[in-house]
Amino acid sequence: MTALEAVSVYLPPGRIPIENLAGRLGLSDMQVKLFHRFHGLRTVGRDPQASLYDLLLHAATGLDALRGQEHRVRYVLHARAMPVVAAYPANPLHDLCRALGLGHALAFTVTHQSCASGLLAIDLAGRLLATDTAGQPAGEPEPLALVLCGEKAFTRDAELFPDTTVFGEGASACLVSAAGARDRLLAYACQVRGEFDSATGENDARLQREYRPTLAAVIRQALAEAGTALDDLRLILPHNVNLVTWQRMCLLLGFPRERVLLDNIPTSGHVFCADMFANYRTACDRGILQPGDRYLAAAVGAGGAATFAAMVFEH
Amino acid sequence: MTTQEAGPDSDFRQQVVDTMTAVLARLLDHPEPITENMRLMEELGLSSTLGLELLLELEDQLEILIDVEQLGPDQMGTVGDMATFVAGHSRPA
Repeated sequence: MTALEAVSVYLPPGRIPIENLAGRLGLSDMQVKLFHRFHGLRTVGRDPQASLYDLLLHAATGLDALRGQEHRVRYVLHARAMPVVAAYPANPLHDLCRALGLGHALAFTVTHQSCASGLLAIDLAGRLLATDTAGQPAGEPEPLALVLCGEKAFTRDAELFPDTTVFGEGASACLVSAAGARDRLLAYACQVRGEFDSATGENDARLQREYRPTLAAVIRQALAEAGTALDDLRLILPHNVNLVTWQRMCLLLGFPRERVLLDNIPTSGHVFCADMFANYRTACDRGILQPGDRYLAAAVGAGGAATFAAMVFEH
Repeated sequence: MTTQEAGPDSDFRQQVVDTMTAVLARLLDHPEPITENMRLMEELGLSSTLGLELLLELEDQLEILIDVEQLGPDQMGTVGDMATFVAGHSRPA
Protein backbone atom coordinates (compact mmCIF):
# COMPACT_ATOMS: atom_id res chain seq x y z
CA MET A 1 0.00 0.00 0.00
CA THR A 2 1.37 3.42 -0.98
CA ALA A 3 2.87 5.23 1.99
CA LEU A 4 4.54 8.53 2.77
CA GLU A 5 7.94 7.78 4.29
CA ALA A 6 8.99 11.36 5.03
CA VAL A 7 7.86 14.89 4.23
CA SER A 8 9.89 18.09 4.15
CA VAL A 9 8.61 21.56 3.40
CA TYR A 10 10.33 24.84 2.63
CA LEU A 11 8.44 28.09 2.93
CA PRO A 12 10.52 31.22 2.36
CA PRO A 13 10.89 33.26 5.55
CA GLY A 14 10.02 36.49 3.72
CA ARG A 15 6.36 37.47 3.86
CA ILE A 16 4.64 40.17 1.82
CA PRO A 17 1.33 41.68 2.94
CA ILE A 18 -1.41 41.22 0.35
CA GLU A 19 -2.00 44.97 0.19
CA ASN A 20 1.59 45.48 -0.96
CA LEU A 21 0.82 43.39 -4.04
CA ALA A 22 -2.38 45.28 -4.86
CA GLY A 23 -0.82 47.78 -7.27
CA ARG A 24 1.02 45.19 -9.29
CA LEU A 25 -1.93 42.79 -9.38
CA GLY A 26 -4.49 45.51 -10.06
CA LEU A 27 -6.51 44.77 -6.93
CA SER A 28 -9.07 47.35 -5.82
CA ASP A 29 -9.37 48.39 -2.17
CA MET A 30 -12.57 46.32 -2.01
CA GLN A 31 -10.78 43.21 -3.30
CA VAL A 32 -8.03 43.61 -0.72
CA LYS A 33 -10.64 44.05 2.02
CA LEU A 34 -12.41 40.90 0.85
CA PHE A 35 -9.16 38.94 0.95
CA HIS A 36 -8.55 40.18 4.50
CA ARG A 37 -12.01 39.90 5.96
CA PHE A 38 -13.48 36.75 4.46
CA HIS A 39 -10.69 34.89 2.69
CA GLY A 40 -8.41 35.23 5.68
CA LEU A 41 -5.38 36.03 3.53
CA ARG A 42 -2.90 38.43 5.12
CA THR A 43 0.56 37.63 3.81
CA VAL A 44 2.17 35.32 1.27
CA GLY A 45 5.67 33.91 1.06
CA ARG A 46 7.99 35.36 -1.56
CA ASP A 47 11.68 34.96 -2.12
CA PRO A 48 12.68 37.13 -5.08
CA GLN A 49 16.27 35.88 -4.89
CA ALA A 50 15.38 32.18 -4.99
CA SER A 51 14.82 30.32 -8.26
CA LEU A 52 12.49 27.34 -8.62
CA TYR A 53 15.59 25.15 -8.34
CA ASP A 54 16.49 26.84 -5.05
CA LEU A 55 12.99 26.31 -3.60
CA LEU A 56 12.97 22.63 -4.53
CA LEU A 57 16.53 22.13 -3.28
CA HIS A 58 15.65 23.66 0.11
CA ALA A 59 12.74 21.23 0.47
CA ALA A 60 14.66 18.17 -0.72
CA THR A 61 17.72 18.77 1.44
CA GLY A 62 15.42 18.96 4.45
CA LEU A 63 14.48 15.35 3.82
CA ASP A 64 16.77 13.52 6.26
CA ALA A 65 15.34 10.14 5.27
CA LEU A 66 16.70 10.59 1.74
CA ARG A 67 20.36 10.73 2.81
CA GLY A 68 22.11 7.47 2.11
CA GLN A 69 19.03 6.13 0.35
CA GLU A 70 19.51 7.89 -2.97
CA HIS A 71 20.24 4.61 -4.76
CA ARG A 72 16.74 3.37 -3.86
CA VAL A 73 15.00 6.29 -5.57
CA ARG A 74 13.66 5.16 -8.94
CA TYR A 75 11.32 8.02 -9.74
CA VAL A 76 11.37 11.75 -9.17
CA LEU A 77 8.03 13.43 -9.87
CA HIS A 78 7.61 17.17 -9.93
CA ALA A 79 3.93 18.01 -9.47
CA ARG A 80 3.12 21.50 -10.68
CA ALA A 81 0.17 23.77 -11.21
CA MET A 82 2.00 25.57 -14.00
CA PRO A 83 2.67 23.43 -17.09
CA VAL A 84 5.68 25.50 -18.20
CA VAL A 85 8.16 27.01 -15.74
CA ALA A 86 11.48 27.27 -17.56
CA ALA A 87 12.67 28.08 -21.06
CA TYR A 88 14.35 25.29 -23.03
CA PRO A 89 17.00 23.96 -22.47
CA ALA A 90 16.82 24.91 -18.77
CA ASN A 91 15.44 22.05 -16.71
CA PRO A 92 15.42 22.73 -12.97
CA LEU A 93 14.15 19.22 -12.20
CA HIS A 94 17.03 17.50 -13.99
CA ASP A 95 19.51 19.93 -12.42
CA LEU A 96 18.07 19.10 -9.02
CA CYS A 97 18.28 15.34 -9.60
CA ARG A 98 21.96 15.67 -10.46
CA ALA A 99 22.62 17.82 -7.39
CA LEU A 100 20.88 15.33 -5.10
CA GLY A 101 22.66 12.29 -6.52
CA LEU A 102 19.47 11.14 -8.22
CA GLY A 103 20.68 11.36 -11.81
CA HIS A 104 19.88 7.67 -12.25
CA ALA A 105 16.16 8.14 -11.43
CA LEU A 106 13.43 8.54 -14.01
CA ALA A 107 12.36 12.15 -13.57
CA PHE A 108 9.19 13.67 -14.96
CA THR A 109 6.60 16.33 -14.24
CA VAL A 110 2.94 15.84 -13.34
CA THR A 111 0.75 18.71 -14.50
CA HIS A 112 -2.67 19.58 -15.92
CA GLN A 113 -4.54 19.00 -12.69
CA SER A 114 -3.35 22.41 -11.45
CA CYS A 115 -3.04 22.46 -7.68
CA ALA A 116 -4.47 18.93 -7.39
CA SER A 117 -1.44 17.55 -9.28
CA GLY A 118 0.39 16.88 -5.99
CA LEU A 119 -2.11 14.24 -4.88
CA LEU A 120 -2.09 12.69 -8.34
CA ALA A 121 1.73 12.45 -8.15
CA ILE A 122 1.55 10.52 -4.86
CA ASP A 123 -0.91 8.09 -6.40
CA LEU A 124 1.21 7.70 -9.55
CA ALA A 125 4.42 7.20 -7.56
CA GLY A 126 2.80 4.52 -5.43
CA ARG A 127 1.42 2.67 -8.43
CA LEU A 128 4.73 2.76 -10.31
CA LEU A 129 6.55 1.43 -7.25
CA ALA A 130 3.92 -1.25 -6.67
CA THR A 131 4.42 -2.50 -10.23
CA ASP A 132 8.20 -2.58 -9.73
CA THR A 133 8.09 -4.37 -6.40
CA ALA A 134 5.67 -7.00 -7.73
CA GLY A 135 8.44 -8.52 -9.84
CA GLN A 136 11.31 -7.77 -7.49
CA PRO A 137 13.50 -10.61 -6.10
CA ALA A 138 13.29 -11.08 -2.33
CA GLY A 139 15.95 -9.31 -0.29
CA GLU A 140 16.38 -6.34 -2.61
CA PRO A 141 15.95 -2.91 -1.02
CA GLU A 142 12.50 -1.46 -1.42
CA PRO A 143 12.40 1.20 -4.15
CA LEU A 144 11.33 4.76 -3.40
CA ALA A 145 9.95 7.73 -5.28
CA LEU A 146 10.54 11.39 -4.55
CA VAL A 147 7.51 13.61 -5.08
CA LEU A 148 8.36 17.29 -5.31
CA CYS A 149 5.96 20.22 -5.37
CA GLY A 150 6.95 23.83 -5.66
CA GLU A 151 6.52 26.89 -7.83
CA LYS A 152 7.54 30.46 -8.30
CA ALA A 153 4.78 33.05 -8.39
CA PHE A 154 6.35 34.42 -11.53
CA THR A 155 3.46 35.86 -13.53
CA ARG A 156 0.19 37.56 -12.61
CA ASP A 157 -1.68 34.30 -13.24
CA ALA A 158 0.78 32.54 -10.94
CA GLU A 159 0.28 35.18 -8.23
CA LEU A 160 -3.48 35.55 -8.18
CA PHE A 161 -6.68 33.62 -8.79
CA PRO A 162 -9.08 36.56 -9.01
CA ASP A 163 -11.51 36.98 -6.10
CA THR A 164 -10.40 33.61 -4.72
CA THR A 165 -6.81 33.39 -3.56
CA VAL A 166 -3.28 34.75 -3.65
CA PHE A 167 -0.48 32.27 -4.25
CA GLY A 168 2.58 31.96 -2.06
CA GLU A 169 5.93 30.53 -3.00
CA GLY A 170 7.26 27.38 -1.38
CA ALA A 171 8.14 23.76 -2.01
CA SER A 172 7.74 20.30 -0.56
CA ALA A 173 9.57 17.00 -0.90
CA CYS A 174 7.95 13.70 -0.04
CA LEU A 175 9.51 10.26 -0.08
CA VAL A 176 7.00 7.65 -1.19
CA SER A 177 7.19 3.86 -0.87
CA ALA A 178 4.93 1.10 -2.17
CA ALA A 179 4.49 -0.69 1.11
CA GLY A 180 5.59 1.48 4.01
CA ALA A 181 4.07 1.50 7.46
CA ARG A 182 3.91 5.27 7.93
CA ASP A 183 1.08 7.39 6.58
CA ARG A 184 -0.46 4.70 4.48
CA LEU A 185 -2.71 5.81 1.62
CA LEU A 186 -6.10 4.15 2.10
CA ALA A 187 -8.01 5.76 -0.75
CA TYR A 188 -7.76 8.34 -3.51
CA ALA A 189 -10.76 9.86 -5.26
CA CYS A 190 -10.57 12.35 -8.08
CA GLN A 191 -13.00 14.05 -10.42
CA VAL A 192 -11.78 15.99 -13.45
CA ARG A 193 -14.30 18.46 -14.86
CA GLY A 194 -13.12 19.59 -18.28
CA GLU A 195 -16.06 21.91 -18.78
CA PHE A 196 -14.66 24.29 -16.15
CA ASP A 197 -11.88 25.67 -18.33
CA SER A 198 -10.93 29.04 -16.90
CA ALA A 199 -9.44 30.12 -20.23
CA THR A 200 -12.90 30.50 -21.73
CA GLY A 201 -14.59 31.61 -18.51
CA GLU A 202 -17.89 30.35 -19.93
CA ASN A 203 -18.75 28.24 -16.91
CA ASP A 204 -17.19 30.31 -14.12
CA ALA A 205 -20.55 30.97 -12.43
CA ARG A 206 -21.42 27.27 -12.58
CA LEU A 207 -18.02 26.38 -11.13
CA GLN A 208 -18.68 28.73 -8.21
CA ARG A 209 -22.00 26.99 -7.57
CA GLU A 210 -20.70 23.44 -7.98
CA TYR A 211 -17.26 23.85 -6.39
CA ARG A 212 -18.14 22.90 -2.82
CA PRO A 213 -20.76 20.21 -3.58
CA THR A 214 -18.34 18.52 -6.01
CA LEU A 215 -15.46 18.60 -3.53
CA ALA A 216 -17.80 17.25 -0.84
CA ALA A 217 -18.82 14.39 -3.15
CA VAL A 218 -15.18 13.51 -3.86
CA ILE A 219 -14.37 13.61 -0.14
CA ARG A 220 -17.29 11.28 0.59
CA GLN A 221 -16.18 8.96 -2.22
CA ALA A 222 -12.63 8.76 -0.80
CA LEU A 223 -14.00 8.09 2.68
CA ALA A 224 -16.28 5.34 1.38
CA GLU A 225 -13.41 3.69 -0.48
CA ALA A 226 -11.29 3.90 2.68
CA GLY A 227 -14.07 2.45 4.80
CA THR A 228 -13.82 5.48 7.04
CA ALA A 229 -16.63 7.60 8.48
CA LEU A 230 -16.29 11.38 8.33
CA ASP A 231 -16.53 11.53 12.13
CA ASP A 232 -13.58 9.17 12.42
CA LEU A 233 -11.22 11.61 10.71
CA ARG A 234 -8.83 13.21 13.14
CA LEU A 235 -8.06 15.99 10.72
CA ILE A 236 -8.61 17.41 7.27
CA LEU A 237 -5.56 18.87 5.56
CA PRO A 238 -7.11 21.36 3.14
CA HIS A 239 -5.81 23.15 0.12
CA ASN A 240 -5.13 26.66 1.33
CA VAL A 241 -7.40 28.41 -1.15
CA ASN A 242 -9.03 30.64 1.48
CA LEU A 243 -10.84 30.50 4.82
CA VAL A 244 -14.40 31.13 3.73
CA THR A 245 -14.40 28.23 1.28
CA TRP A 246 -13.45 25.83 4.05
CA GLN A 247 -15.81 27.39 6.59
CA ARG A 248 -18.61 26.68 4.14
CA MET A 249 -17.22 23.24 3.30
CA CYS A 250 -17.41 22.41 7.01
CA LEU A 251 -21.06 23.48 7.08
CA LEU A 252 -21.81 21.43 4.00
CA LEU A 253 -19.99 18.33 5.23
CA GLY A 254 -21.11 18.64 8.84
CA PHE A 255 -17.48 18.53 9.99
CA PRO A 256 -16.08 20.66 12.83
CA ARG A 257 -13.97 23.55 11.60
CA GLU A 258 -11.55 22.99 14.48
CA ARG A 259 -10.47 19.73 12.84
CA VAL A 260 -9.51 21.41 9.55
CA LEU A 261 -5.97 22.77 9.64
CA LEU A 262 -6.48 26.30 8.40
CA ASP A 263 -3.65 27.96 10.30
CA ASN A 264 -1.29 28.38 7.37
CA ILE A 265 -3.74 30.25 5.14
CA PRO A 266 -3.32 33.72 6.69
CA THR A 267 0.46 33.65 6.65
CA SER A 268 1.47 31.57 3.63
CA GLY A 269 -1.45 31.81 1.19
CA HIS A 270 -2.14 29.07 -1.33
CA VAL A 271 1.19 27.35 -2.00
CA PHE A 272 0.07 25.63 -5.21
CA CYS A 273 0.44 21.82 -4.91
CA ALA A 274 2.45 21.98 -1.67
CA ASP A 275 -0.41 22.97 0.67
CA MET A 276 -1.19 19.42 1.75
CA PHE A 277 2.43 18.74 2.64
CA ALA A 278 2.87 22.06 4.48
CA ASN A 279 -0.26 21.35 6.48
CA TYR A 280 0.89 17.78 7.15
CA ARG A 281 4.18 19.08 8.58
CA THR A 282 2.33 21.60 10.75
CA ALA A 283 0.07 18.83 12.09
CA CYS A 284 3.05 16.57 12.85
CA ASP A 285 5.16 19.33 14.38
CA ARG A 286 2.29 20.20 16.71
CA GLY A 287 1.68 16.57 17.63
CA ILE A 288 -1.89 16.69 16.31
CA LEU A 289 -1.61 13.34 14.49
CA GLN A 290 -1.11 10.23 16.60
CA PRO A 291 -0.29 6.75 15.30
CA GLY A 292 -3.44 5.18 13.91
CA ASP A 293 -5.19 8.49 13.28
CA ARG A 294 -6.92 8.77 9.95
CA TYR A 295 -6.83 12.05 8.08
CA LEU A 296 -7.91 13.37 4.72
CA ALA A 297 -6.04 15.61 2.30
CA ALA A 298 -8.13 17.62 -0.14
CA ALA A 299 -7.17 19.65 -3.18
CA VAL A 300 -8.87 21.49 -6.00
CA GLY A 301 -7.05 22.50 -9.13
CA ALA A 302 -8.67 25.18 -11.25
CA GLY A 303 -7.22 26.20 -14.57
CA GLY A 304 -7.43 24.41 -17.90
CA ALA A 305 -10.06 22.26 -16.17
CA ALA A 306 -11.19 21.83 -12.59
CA THR A 307 -9.92 18.82 -10.66
CA PHE A 308 -11.35 17.83 -7.30
CA ALA A 309 -9.28 15.33 -5.32
CA ALA A 310 -9.16 13.74 -1.89
CA MET A 311 -6.92 11.19 -0.23
CA VAL A 312 -7.45 9.31 3.03
CA PHE A 313 -4.37 8.30 5.03
CA GLU A 314 -3.66 6.43 8.23
CA HIS A 315 -0.85 7.92 10.26
CA MET B 1 -27.20 42.41 18.84
CA THR B 2 -29.91 39.80 18.62
CA THR B 3 -29.50 36.09 18.02
CA GLN B 4 -31.42 34.01 15.53
CA GLU B 5 -32.84 31.81 18.27
CA ALA B 6 -34.42 34.80 19.99
CA GLY B 7 -35.62 36.23 16.68
CA PRO B 8 -33.92 39.20 15.11
CA ASP B 9 -35.05 42.67 16.01
CA SER B 10 -37.55 43.65 13.33
CA ASP B 11 -36.40 47.26 13.03
CA PHE B 12 -32.83 46.15 12.57
CA ARG B 13 -33.87 43.49 10.10
CA GLN B 14 -35.71 46.13 8.06
CA GLN B 15 -32.58 48.26 8.14
CA VAL B 16 -30.64 45.28 6.77
CA VAL B 17 -33.23 44.76 4.02
CA ASP B 18 -33.12 48.42 3.00
CA THR B 19 -29.32 48.45 2.89
CA MET B 20 -29.19 45.13 1.08
CA THR B 21 -31.58 46.15 -1.66
CA ALA B 22 -29.70 49.39 -2.28
CA VAL B 23 -26.31 47.64 -2.37
CA LEU B 24 -27.61 44.84 -4.59
CA ALA B 25 -29.11 47.29 -7.06
CA ARG B 26 -25.71 48.94 -7.41
CA LEU B 27 -23.59 45.74 -7.44
CA LEU B 28 -25.80 44.00 -9.96
CA ASP B 29 -26.71 47.14 -11.91
CA HIS B 30 -30.33 46.03 -11.57
CA PRO B 31 -32.75 48.47 -13.20
CA GLU B 32 -35.93 47.35 -11.39
CA PRO B 33 -36.59 47.72 -7.65
CA ILE B 34 -35.24 44.77 -5.65
CA THR B 35 -37.67 43.22 -3.19
CA GLU B 36 -37.42 40.81 -0.25
CA ASN B 37 -38.93 37.90 -2.15
CA MET B 38 -36.44 37.91 -5.00
CA ARG B 39 -34.13 34.90 -5.18
CA LEU B 40 -30.53 35.96 -4.87
CA MET B 41 -28.87 33.50 -7.20
CA GLU B 42 -31.51 32.24 -9.57
CA GLU B 43 -33.35 35.53 -10.08
CA LEU B 44 -30.74 38.20 -9.41
CA GLY B 45 -27.71 36.20 -10.55
CA LEU B 46 -25.68 36.85 -7.39
CA SER B 47 -22.37 34.93 -7.49
CA SER B 48 -20.43 33.73 -4.44
CA THR B 49 -17.91 36.50 -4.98
CA LEU B 50 -20.52 39.24 -5.20
CA GLY B 51 -22.24 37.67 -2.19
CA LEU B 52 -19.11 38.29 -0.15
CA GLU B 53 -18.86 41.82 -1.49
CA LEU B 54 -22.46 42.36 -0.41
CA LEU B 55 -21.67 41.12 3.10
CA LEU B 56 -18.65 43.40 3.31
CA GLU B 57 -20.72 46.40 2.25
CA LEU B 58 -23.35 45.53 4.85
CA GLU B 59 -20.66 45.31 7.52
CA ASP B 60 -19.24 48.68 6.53
CA GLN B 61 -22.53 50.51 6.19
CA LEU B 62 -24.26 49.03 9.25
CA GLU B 63 -21.04 48.93 11.35
CA ILE B 64 -21.47 45.28 12.21
CA LEU B 65 -19.50 42.03 12.00
CA ILE B 66 -21.40 39.16 10.39
CA ASP B 67 -20.78 35.58 11.50
CA VAL B 68 -20.17 34.23 7.99
CA GLU B 69 -19.13 30.80 9.26
CA GLN B 70 -22.79 30.01 9.83
CA LEU B 71 -23.95 31.23 6.42
CA GLY B 72 -25.07 28.25 4.34
CA PRO B 73 -27.09 27.86 1.14
CA ASP B 74 -30.36 27.77 3.09
CA GLN B 75 -29.79 31.33 4.25
CA MET B 76 -29.07 32.56 0.74
CA GLY B 77 -32.43 31.77 -0.87
CA THR B 78 -34.11 35.13 -1.07
CA VAL B 79 -33.11 38.68 -0.16
CA GLY B 80 -35.34 38.30 2.90
CA ASP B 81 -33.71 35.02 3.96
CA MET B 82 -30.30 36.58 3.91
CA ALA B 83 -31.47 39.69 5.73
CA THR B 84 -32.92 37.50 8.48
CA PHE B 85 -29.62 35.68 8.75
CA VAL B 86 -27.57 38.88 8.89
CA ALA B 87 -29.88 40.44 11.49
CA GLY B 88 -29.62 37.32 13.63
CA HIS B 89 -25.94 36.55 13.21
CA SER B 90 -24.15 39.84 13.60
CA ARG B 91 -22.70 41.99 16.33
CA PRO B 92 -21.58 45.61 16.55
CA ALA B 93 -18.18 46.16 14.95
